[in-house]
Amino acid sequence: MSPDFSSLVHWILFLPLGAAALSALFLRRSGAIAAWFSTATAFTIAGLSLQLLLQSSGTVTWHVELAKLGEISLGFGYLIDANARLMLFVVTFVAAWIHLFSVGYMQDDAARGRFFAGLSVFMFSILGIVVADNLLMTFIFWELVGFSSYMLIAHYFDKDFAAAASKKAFITNRIGDLGFILGIALCLKEYGTLDFVALKAAAGSTVPVAVGALLMCGFLGKSAQFPLHVWLTDAMAGPTPVSALIHAATMVAAGVFFMARVSFLLAPEVLQWIAISGAGMAALAGLCALAQTDIKKSLAYSTLAHLGIMGCAIGLGRPDLAVLHMAMHAFFKATLFLGAGSVIHGCHHEQDMLKMGGLLKKMPLTAATFIAATLSNCAVPFFAGWYSKDAIIEAAWHGHNLPVFAFLAIAALATCLYSGRMIRLVFLGEANSEAAEHAHESPWTMTLPIMVLGLVFAVGAGFAAHYLIPASSLQVVHQALEEMHFSFTAPSTIIGLLALVLGFGGALKFYGTVRGADALQVVSPRTYHLLEHRWMDGLYRWWIDGPQRRIIEFIAFLDLMLINGVAVRWIAGGATAALGNLTGLTFHRGQTRGYALWIVIGSALLAWYLLAR
Amino acid sequence: MDTFSTLNAWLLVTAIFLPVLIGLILLAGRVLPRSGVSGLAFLGFAVPAAVVLWFLLPVSGPLDAILRLRVDGPWLFKLGLNGVSAPLFAMTAIVGLAAGLKALIQEVEARTTYLGLILFMFGGTLAVFATDNIIGFYFFHEFALIPTFILTLFWGGEGRRSAAMQMAIYLTVGAMLSLGGILIAMEVAGLSWNDATFAALFQGLFAADAPLPAATGAMTLFGLGTLASLFPFHSWAAPGYSAAPTPVSMLHAGALKKFGLYGIVMIAAASMQIGQGTLGQWFFWCALANLLIVGLICMAQRDLKQLLSWSSVAHMGPIFLGLWVGTAKGEAAGIDAAIFLMVAHGLSCAALFLLANAVRTRTGTYRFEELGGLAARTPVLAAFFIAATMASIGLPGFGNFWGEIGVFLSLRAEPLWVQALVASTVVVSAIYALRAVATVFFGPASKHIEERAAHAPFGDLGFTERLAATLLLGASMTIGFVPSLVTQCTNTDARGIAAAALRSASPKTPAVPVIPPAAPKATTPAPSAR
Repeated sequence: MSPDFSSLVHWILFLPLGAAALSALFLRRSGAIAAWFSTATAFTIAGLSLQLLLQSSGTVTWHVELAKLGEISLGFGYLIDANARLMLFVVTFVAAWIHLFSVGYMQDDAARGRFFAGLSVFMFSILGIVVADNLLMTFIFWELVGFSSYMLIAHYFDKDFAAAASKKAFITNRIGDLGFILGIALCLKEYGTLDFVALKAAAGSTVPVAVGALLMCGFLGKSAQFPLHVWLTDAMAGPTPVSALIHAATMVAAGVFFMARVSFLLAPEVLQWIAISGAGMAALAGLCALAQTDIKKSLAYSTLAHLGIMGCAIGLGRPDLAVLHMAMHAFFKATLFLGAGSVIHGCHHEQDMLKMGGLLKKMPLTAATFIAATLSNCAVPFFAGWYSKDAIIEAAWHGHNLPVFAFLAIAALATCLYSGRMIRLVFLGEANSEAAEHAHESPWTMTLPIMVLGLVFAVGAGFAAHYLIPASSLQVVHQALEEMHFSFTAPSTIIGLLALVLGFGGALKFYGTVRGADALQVVSPRTYHLLEHRWMDGLYRWWIDGPQRRIIEFIAFLDLMLINGVAVRWIAGGATAALGNLTGLTFHRGQTRGYALWIVIGSALLAWYLLAR
Repeated sequence: MDTFSTLNAWLLVTAIFLPVLIGLILLAGRVLPRSGVSGLAFLGFAVPAAVVLWFLLPVSGPLDAILRLRVDGPWLFKLGLNGVSAPLFAMTAIVGLAAGLKALIQEVEARTTYLGLILFMFGGTLAVFATDNIIGFYFFHEFALIPTFILTLFWGGEGRRSAAMQMAIYLTVGAMLSLGGILIAMEVAGLSWNDATFAALFQGLFAADAPLPAATGAMTLFGLGTLASLFPFHSWAAPGYSAAPTPVSMLHAGALKKFGLYGIVMIAAASMQIGQGTLGQWFFWCALANLLIVGLICMAQRDLKQLLSWSSVAHMGPIFLGLWVGTAKGEAAGIDAAIFLMVAHGLSCAALFLLANAVRTRTGTYRFEELGGLAARTPVLAAFFIAATMASIGLPGFGNFWGEIGVFLSLRAEPLWVQALVASTVVVSAIYALRAVATVFFGPASKHIEERAAHAPFGDLGFTERLAATLLLGASMTIGFVPSLVTQCTNTDARGIAAAALRSASPKTPAVPVIPPAAPKATTPAPSAR
């Protein structure tokens, strides 16, 4: 609309790319400079995004044609609607604080330059998805997000698990992207355009199921939805700030954002599937979080659960609620991960919750923020998480979608259970190891970000959005917020409060009964194992080590035997050898002179033909 | 302007013949001092790239003028660029410079001869993409291939004898077969070999009364296909690249191999109906097999250079499919994307061969089971290698992305299963490429590397290797960020060829020599006679 704003978007998008290039090329050995430089960039773009959020209205657009392949125009441009504005702000704001946190967290890391360059590349990629005005550009940045995630997961590349996890994340994402590409091609075929605005105009009311189903594949990969969820827990092999930024707050939420953007292309069948699989995922992942002792992996399952809830909102036909939950979740989950990072840092890189305990007194700031964010995670009324999660459960109820509602109720209970367990094991009770005994509070670069994100946003984001930020800036979610009223008789409130009392309270009590071990594992080892075992991973492993390996080896063998062996050596080789025998020159001796002569003979024949014409 | 076109014409001639000339001097003058040899050879490797850089600058005149340059020399030397060949020519110049830099730092026996032969190969390859005359086109190809055989035979690695022999037979047969087809076509078009330019052949065939004999298209397609390792005529390629010395693999797999593809675009695509009827079906299945079967074979490799060689064959699959859909369905995007991918693949595959050899010179091995954890010792090499790998598997930001996505999009009207099989390359190539990266660079250091580092300590990538890799990857990123650099050259021709391919398939309206083009510039005949 206004040229001013599009140039603002240029800055927001390309500043991180410049920072990344500079860090990678010149600051590889001066980690401290790279760290502060990246952080300054991140805060700058957060400021610019806030300006965009508050000042621009309507839709900001800008477009150029990059190239033409045949008749297909490859475009690059911006489409900043209310949705994108909110997402831009959330991403850049959370990212800025996570950058600051990383300055402290990565202080002793030898490869800080590479790490911060990676973070900046990631920022560039995710912002590209947010501002993109067409499917192809979305796909470009989609792939770049996959790449930067790969590089950041592989940060500790000399460890086997990090090497394996990075590969797994990239390949799993690419499996989703395979469907995404097919979806893009189908859109181009059906509607002759890839521009969101033009697509919306062309799509009309009935859209073929295949379009939505294929585009959804990209979402399944990036947002770690069933059956492509397997990479997310392994991705915790990366440094903790990476887990907070990429694998909790932003990258995985990009899938949700994208689904909201193309929601007009999703046929009812596709929506139904997203709703039910998302809700099922939310319930199951929440329960699985109970069987993890690694604090980050437990949080990763929690993220899976929340992504399921967001997917569910999309499936229920409420992309606005999905975006709202995405924003709220970004705040409190980033806080939780950063809190976990602070705990890990304080406990000298101990990640096993069973070896923690009693950290409330030793790390009071971390503990306070972590608990606040946990309560938001559990959707305590008027905390940020409540605004969105409650609305989604409410929507399921009003949509008369009982299975979805039931799954969401289980998910709510599971959330409170694993949250209570986490608080109990990490912060309450007595220290269970040497490391926890000597835990210390983290430096200000780490505690300031978690306090800002935790106390201000994880708690108050919903409140702020409701009352402080002008409605014009938040058109998308404003309506959702307007509808929010606290009422004791609403089914979502009843479910929420029950879950809170039974789940959170119960977990606090239950996990206090056994010390140094998991109470559930002691009480019912079979249930614990059922939740801990990774069924889909097992299935994929079986396929890769079994059938897939045999197929490729068989094909390689066939190629060697049939084409190279029989067809070439035997048939063609036999014929030429027969010819060679006639002239007394055999090929299979492999003598240089032999075939040098053949070349000469051939060239002579050719020359004779040409000259004779 | 006029002086400029004269200057540009001279520069073009210099770019092609200076490497050959210097090669001759090196072959003849074995008494030259070492520094003199290096300096001369460097000049030969660098001048073509400098000329390309000059052509890219706005000062050298508009693009059209450069594409219209013609130098009518004696005999077969009818030189000039066209929209399809200009990007390939530029790519060859860059790959040649990188390969030359690599060759200059290699310690080999008979170094002067080695460098001279590589310069021959380089000059010949440049000439292939800068000649207008079809016979000259073949002549220069053979001119470049003969040093390739010799270099592989005498300076190659393990299994070089059988590889060089196999390669010689395959490539000779392929070239002969396609030349046969083309000579028949020239007969039909009534052309003598002196005036057999690409455009003249096209127009001649279009105007000819007699139809083309049925086998012509097949001979040309599969002959040229063999040279570009079309399935099932690919068996020479992987062993050939693996056994060749690194600069030769770079030039051959990166640039010279594109001869076959370029030939298909310029000669067969527009007028030989290679996408139609039974032949078209064979073409399709062979191209699909290239992508699928060879892709799976890549997954079974346990040796870094073997893997790169095989994947270089697999990456021909999308190119062939792009050409197929362009000629079968008149989908111009397929041809555009195929040309884009030829250029991008040349850069990325040369970079991978270069960097894999850097692994080999440090560790003494290409075998996966002996490699591991190299990134901790050679972080810069690892970073470059990962970048090159990402380029080759089509990460956006590198040129290969536009080629691959363009081919996928050009196939959009095909049945979903075809598209799904083609797009599966996105996953398959990621699997084998990232497996290689993880095995060679990530994880703890392998036993072999520990021992090697103890006995023969090795450092990170040196300056020259960095420079060469930066050139290749930088060029790939340049066309990745500014794809119009390539498409502004190719787009008009690609559309013209696609339109002509469809028209040549429909029954001919007799004997009115219409000038074909669907292109905006009304008088431009389709393939390239600007």
